[in-house]
Amino acid sequence: MAKSLVTLEKGTVCSAWNYCGQRLATGSGDGTLAVFDSQDPASSSSFTRTSKSRLHEDGIVKVVWVPSEYGDAVACICTEGNVSLWEEVKEDAQPLQWKLCKSFKSNSAKVLDIQFGISLRSLKMVAAYSDGHVKVYELLDCLELKNWQLQAEFQNVIESVFTFSKALCLSASISWNPQGGESQESSFVLGFNSDTPLLNSSKVWEFDPAHQRWLPVAELALPGDKGDQVYTVAWAPNIGRPYEVIAVATHKGISIWHLGLDPDLDGRLSVEKVALLSSHKGEVWQMEWDMSGMTLATTGSDGVVRLWQSNLNGAWMEKAAFEPTS
Amino acid sequence: MLAFSSASADGASSTGELVPFSSEARATAVFPLHHGLKPPISRLSISWARGNSLRVSFFRKPSGDDSDGDEFGGKVLEVRLSGGDGDMSDAQFRRIAYGSVSPFALLQSRRNSAVSLSKISSPYHVEWWEYVMEYSKDINSLLSDPKSLTSPAIEDPKAVLQKAEEPICLKAAWDVMEIFYADKQSQSWLPERLVDWLAAYNGLLSSTQATIHSQLISFQKELVTLQVKMLRLHGSYQLDQIGNRETENGLVEAVAVLISKMPRLRPELQAGTLGECHRAKPDFIKAWEKWRAHITKLDCSAYWVRCDHDQTRKGLRNMLQIMLGNTNSLCTATCHWMELYIAHFLYIRPFTVGLESMYSLARKCMQLKPMTISHRLIQLLLGIIGDNTEVVLAECSRAFGPWMVAHAIELLASGSDQAETLLREEHYNLGGISIEELHRLVYAQVLSSDALTWQIAPIYLTSCIKQGMGLLEILLSKQPVQDVQILLKVIEICRLYELDSVSSNIMKIAGVYHWKHGRKGSGVFWLQQARDEVRLNRIAQQLFDFVGQSISDESFKQWEGLIELLGSESKTAGGLEFLHKYRDFKKSLKQVNDGKTTDAAQQAVESLISLMKNPSTPQQFWLPILYDSLKLLSCQERPLLNVSETNLLLNKLQELSMAKLRPDFIEADLPPQALGSVRLALATNLGRAIVEE
Repeated sequence: MAKSLVTLEKGTVCSAWNYCGQRLATGSGDGTLAVFDSQDPASSSSFTRTSKSRLHEDGIVKVVWVPSEYGDAVACICTEGNVSLWEEVKEDAQPLQWKLCKSFKSNSAKVLDIQFGISLRSLKMVAAYSDGHVKVYELLDCLELKNWQLQAEFQNVIESVFTFSKALCLSASISWNPQGGESQESSFVLGFNSDTPLLNSSKVWEFDPAHQRWLPVAELALPGDKGDQVYTVAWAPNIGRPYEVIAVATHKGISIWHLGLDPDLDGRLSVEKVALLSSHKGEVWQMEWDMSGMTLATTGSDGVVRLWQSNLNGAWMEKAAFEPTS
Repeated sequence: MLAFSSASADGASSTGELVPFSSEARATAVFPLHHGLKPPISRLSISWARGNSLRVSFFRKPSGDDSDGDEFGGKVLEVRLSGGDGDMSDAQFRRIAYGSVSPFALLQSRRNSAVSLSKISSPYHVEWWEYVMEYSKDINSLLSDPKSLTSPAIEDPKAVLQKAEEPICLKAAWDVMEIFYADKQSQSWLPERLVDWLAAYNGLLSSTQATIHSQLISFQKELVTLQVKMLRLHGSYQLDQIGNRETENGLVEAVAVLISKMPRLRPELQAGTLGECHRAKPDFIKAWEKWRAHITKLDCSAYWVRCDHDQTRKGLRNMLQIMLGNTNSLCTATCHWMELYIAHFLYIRPFTVGLESMYSLARKCMQLKPMTISHRLIQLLLGIIGDNTEVVLAECSRAFGPWMVAHAIELLASGSDQAETLLREEHYNLGGISIEELHRLVYAQVLSSDALTWQIAPIYLTSCIKQGMGLLEILLSKQPVQDVQILLKVIEICRLYELDSVSSNIMKIAGVYHWKHGRKGSGVFWLQQARDEVRLNRIAQQLFDFVGQSISDESFKQWEGLIELLGSESKTAGGLEFLHKYRDFKKSLKQVNDGKTTDAAQQAVESLISLMKNPSTPQQFWLPILYDSLKLLSCQERPLLNVSETNLLLNKLQELSMAKLRPDFIEADLPPQALGSVRLALATNLGRAIVEE
């Protein structure tokens, strides 16, 4: 039932697949980026390592692929909390190699998570920091990944009156609406795991072009749960439903939310919590939706991979669990 | 959405099925994932690949010392989450998948044209049933195809048997659904159809037990040989003429004849099968009563006493009892409830019609003769007889997989109005789609999981009116476009279904990929196909960097090639026009430098003037261009520029000097005496030109 695709080297701590599942980028504790490619696009077998480069001294904790409209590139978050962008290019007479395009250094806070989204024809990068700040960077030049501009900086709060200078955040999770793109503004959902309750709950952020700023249009937490630390969030692809589906994981379990599509007079979107799934013991590390947005795969510190689906009556249930064995 | 197979779950606690209707909570299926790494595993990471494939990365925590030895640091596994037909080989599945595309597509197009003609949502007329029957027959023949049945490579004999069973099982399931739902013409002799069905697939239903059917077959064979022998001895044969000496044989014959004359309510029988067919009920009833009378007569006859052989007598009398419809005898003789059920139709109540009575009869038979392990075909049949569409769908899904459900829904929907409503009703909880659409989406996702079958998914997706296109767009966007074949295929599909934005995006990705990998020509080509003005503009801007610089011949060629490509179609109008002119100018300059004829010089001058006159020439390039043409301007033999031309250039220089005073002036990267040299050359030229004139 399970097939082994790739064997990883010692010290590998993270991995990420590109948009079509043909390339795997892995980062290790000694700062090495290794990329594996499939030799035959027709079948997903025979992956071989095509490059291995020691990027820097600092270990890599997370690798994120840049949307392929902008090239074959990855962003690496390292243990010290900086982000660097590397692109695989072939320049003139030189061989194909990974080159550093941009380094986002921050002095005080560490980057906890970054995600890329395409909004109105430009590439945006959202970065969540350990001091509770959120920065949105915009790529200025569509052919080069060198020039970025800080478009906005804000905190994950509904009322912008509140600002927290001494927030201590352990982790953050960002998920863009997979739908976004050329003709419309894209939105993303963001949650924190921090010591400041107001920062924690997952909020959906949308860009307001009239005022040139990002506004929170929904909060995915029930009144009693707003201070709960959020481990991870995931926005499901919408293939034609009249509502968006977003999963939010906290220590209470995984909540499935329905987000309305039409804003009310205040510009807010309606939200409804439709399920609470609580089979995972311990922290939920990652949640991924399949291509139709109907099945959710989750994994956590209990080491089990679980699959969830909704039935006709709208009840979400665990359909299968995969327990690793040696 | 997925359907799971429980077959591969070793020691799973219970069956893991996707039952989209059930409101009962079912225990989760647990599957092991063998990664083969030495513990401890510090982290897991998951990612969906095409369709229903899930990739799980395992990371080992490296121990500080070298105790790991050759252990890997981690592993990535791919899990394929497929349907209930886990026992079918990939090749068989692909064959069936590919073969069912045309019948499906044909039926959909017929429905579409019927709907547009009659303007009602459910075209419920005779013709429609014929179409459904044709569809059913097409799929049936696909499943009967010997190529579908056998697996090409025979490695393990047991595996072959198992793999051969799967498509036969599918065919059995399809047959029974065709009988009940699609075959409207044979509704009147439905019980007989069931008899045939059981005859064909009895081997599947009870593989270990001996069945009455197999016994019957062997007995029938025996009878036939016996009959032949007897006929030879006796010549013509009449029921009433049984001789004393051979009572036993006579009795056997008599029973044999009775069996062979058994009336059956059906249009025709297969060759070699015993019985007499009657199409119409009145004929049948008459024959039936006559036949029963004969049996009773034989049963009451005195010859039994004279029969010496005990076993024969008992056996024959038992047979007569069966034919008379004695429930006890039937019960004892049959091996499982299905056989008893069929026996009821044959011997007790041949006129049974209506699902309700059939169902209650089935329940009665099940009580009398329960089966220990229930085959999935039996479950399916019960669902069908029970007239419960949801149960039928659930059984199909659980036992036969997404292919079966997606294709059998057409049969189910034509079965009854209620079934159709149930299947086509829209559900808010599914995001507004019907059960029919849901299962097509599920099946399409299964097809998307394999590189060899994803291309047929669009046909199913485009028949889903609500969410099909959305899923199709996602499917296409996730194809690897670095491979030209796949790229062209995706573009073709986009064109077929008018998915322009997906197409343009895919071409954009291909364009950027080629551009960044040193294949600039291909890059520009695909970006032009994608009509990506933003990136093309950006590339054009990059080309400007070459102006005023001395570049190698090879670079010039590449630069020239790119301008050609960008040339005619790109809307980065003004700028590119300049580049074209500049290119011509550079080329002619080169010819001059190569020492060709004075014609070249004249041409060069013309290009130069045209360039300098052109309003689209950016001011920042005036001086570089003039500096480039110093050789032309200071031509020894005679002045190449006339008075007006020289004046034009001098004026431009003047303009340039004025422009220098402005703050936003971009200083060209030229040696400091450039301006001076150009001015001097022009002045000299002017002087000589005036003299000439």
